[in-house]
Amino acid sequence: MSTASLNRHDPVKAFYFNTSEHLLRIGRERANNLAEFLQALQDCPDDSIFQHTFSTLQEHHFIRQGFSNDFAHWSLSACHEPILAEQLASVDVREYTSISGLRQHMVEIVHTFLNEHPRSGDRPAHEPFYFCAADLVVLPTPFVTMTPESFLEALRKVTIHSVHHHFIEARLRLKLMTNDFSEWLKEEAGLEQAAAAIDRIDIYTNTMEGVRQQIAGIVERSLN
Amino acid sequence: MNPINNRATAVQGEEFRAAVANEVAPPQPIPATPRPASRPLPKYVTTPPSPPPPPHLDDYAAIIGAQQVATLRYLAEELRGRHVKMVNSTAVGGGVAEMLNRLVPLLSELEVPTQWDVITGGNDFFEVTKAFHNALHGAPYELTKSARDIFLMYNEQNLHRMKFGEEFVVIHDPQPAALIRAKKDHASKWIWRCHIDLSNPHPDVWQFLRPFIEQYDAAIFSSQSFARQLSIPQYLFYPCIDPLSEKNKELTDSFVQQICDDFGIDRTRPIVTQVSRFDRLKDPVGVVQAYKLAKKYVDCQLVLAGGGATDDPEGAVVLQEVKEAAGDDPDIIILDLPPWCALEINAIQRASTIIIQKSLREGFGLTVTEALWKGKPTIAGAVGGIPNQIVHKLTGVLVHSVEGCAFQIRYLLTHPEFARRIGAAGREHVKENFLMTTNVKRWLLLFRILSGKKPVPLPSETAASV
Repeated sequence: MSTASLNRHDPVKAFYFNTSEHLLRIGRERANNLAEFLQALQDCPDDSIFQHTFSTLQEHHFIRQGFSNDFAHWSLSACHEPILAEQLASVDVREYTSISGLRQHMVEIVHTFLNEHPRSGDRPAHEPFYFCAADLVVLPTPFVTMTPESFLEALRKVTIHSVHHHFIEARLRLKLMTNDFSEWLKEEAGLEQAAAAIDRIDIYTNTMEGVRQQIAGIVERSLN
Repeated sequence: MNPINNRATAVQGEEFRAAVANEVAPPQPIPATPRPASRPLPKYVTTPPSPPPPPHLDDYAAIIGAQQVATLRYLAEELRGRHVKMVNSTAVGGGVAEMLNRLVPLLSELEVPTQWDVITGGNDFFEVTKAFHNALHGAPYELTKSARDIFLMYNEQNLHRMKFGEEFVVIHDPQPAALIRAKKDHASKWIWRCHIDLSNPHPDVWQFLRPFIEQYDAAIFSSQSFARQLSIPQYLFYPCIDPLSEKNKELTDSFVQQICDDFGIDRTRPIVTQVSRFDRLKDPVGVVQAYKLAKKYVDCQLVLAGGGATDDPEGAVVLQEVKEAAGDDPDIIILDLPPWCALEINAIQRASTIIIQKSLREGFGLTVTEALWKGKPTIAGAVGGIPNQIVHKLTGVLVHSVEGCAFQIRYLLTHPEFARRIGAAGREHVKENFLMTTNVKRWLLLFRILSGKKPVPLPSETAASV
């Protein structure tokens, strides 16, 4: 047993692998330029912010780099504003445990940019930004694990959507700067270092499949 | 046989193309052979084949994974035995009928019994609805009382002929939209699935239809940009392709080779292809111009495979324009194919090094979806639903001009690693978002939501799942 797993103990609670599926709803807000975008960003419902940041990562989970969120993508592709796009793309959704905090940061970025570049506000975008929202349905999977070994086995079998549900979306649910996997491995199995290492995985330079493999590698090493 | 087919094929296509793609020097001239004015099609192409039986759900497991199939079964469990009716205006031909041919058996296999009914009408009805269709796309039109009466009369006739006892009724497109008058109570949920672009509709036609649409429980559009402001919830269902259809299923290399041989396509050299009707909005002449600009720097052939020249007078004119633009270049292969040549199109797409869809205006652009699904680096016009599919430089490349298209042909042919990467990402994008199985999932999710299975609140408001 490695020093990393000296505190290992048997879990009391099982880990239930769930998954979430999203249905896209077309919202009312629409922006034809950055000034309208800023207004809509402040007015749109929380589930629109969720869709264009958290959910879009799931929809584009196969891209290793270059895609962060819909707002950044539109700022570049439709508004040709690379500075704003870079600033919006640098927002890591995992630094937020609430949508309101994430929204506030996005609004601040756009507001500051338009103050510094006032002529950019009214310049028509090549394509409007259509705000959408996600209707979310959480589903159970057959995978329920009581040991880190069986956890590892299940992790390799579940869908990418399940990995996204537990690894990315979880912090909004837990209200903690962590994820379901780390939380369970730390609290239930005593694998604190593995839990911390999983928390450090960079989701913006990996595909979600790459994230899964990294998590599996960390857990596997902690068990050897 | 075309002389180009006699060239040695010891070096196989992919390897050769990769080697060629690394060359930046101008290509060696290819011995020119005057292109025949019109290439005779192989005899097997002239007769429609019998349609194959529809696949079963488990057949998709090899493509999307067993767990995704299990998710569909789980989603369907709570809907088991609840009946669905789909209504449209045609049983054959067109994308909607093609999609329903696959969707209906899959929902029924999931024990969500689904019936597909087609409305009937006289020529006068379909003339009116065709005019409505064009007007909803923005064409000029004078909406007369007579047209309104014809539309309402046939909808009323169908309403009395059909029964609506199902829990979910899905009406496709405007033709049967007034059937909503059969909705008697709140027990059944009615959904309007709009497959057309309503971003710029003729105001009179839209104002006539809108009161019907707003009686539905939900509307579905194929792109955010196609929707209107409505008082009912609107959902986004991307159109989809079936990975097991003749157009998209895997093919053996020997079959692909056979088709290329039959059509005079040389697989030992790069192949740039556009598949679409001979229609000005698909800009086939622009594709020829882009190819000619690119050909100054890179060796390649251009295949323009499409149809519409025999049943559409304008198509014949456009085909002639394309032939004139092509001149006597033996490396431009123009194929006017009948609509049942799905396997042949599939083979040509699979043989291609790059696929282009240089549309000037587009619906969703399912030919782009087909190209991406085959892992092909794809160049497409940034119009209609294409930007939903092509994330620029990540899942393909978007262009806005002939010159831009020409540059991207050159770039992709000389940067095979980038081309391979965007091709692979494009395929994953389709797998995640634009396959028939994703479409089935969206329907199941919508039925659950409309039947009171409320979507869960955002994760911030739910209990921990562990």
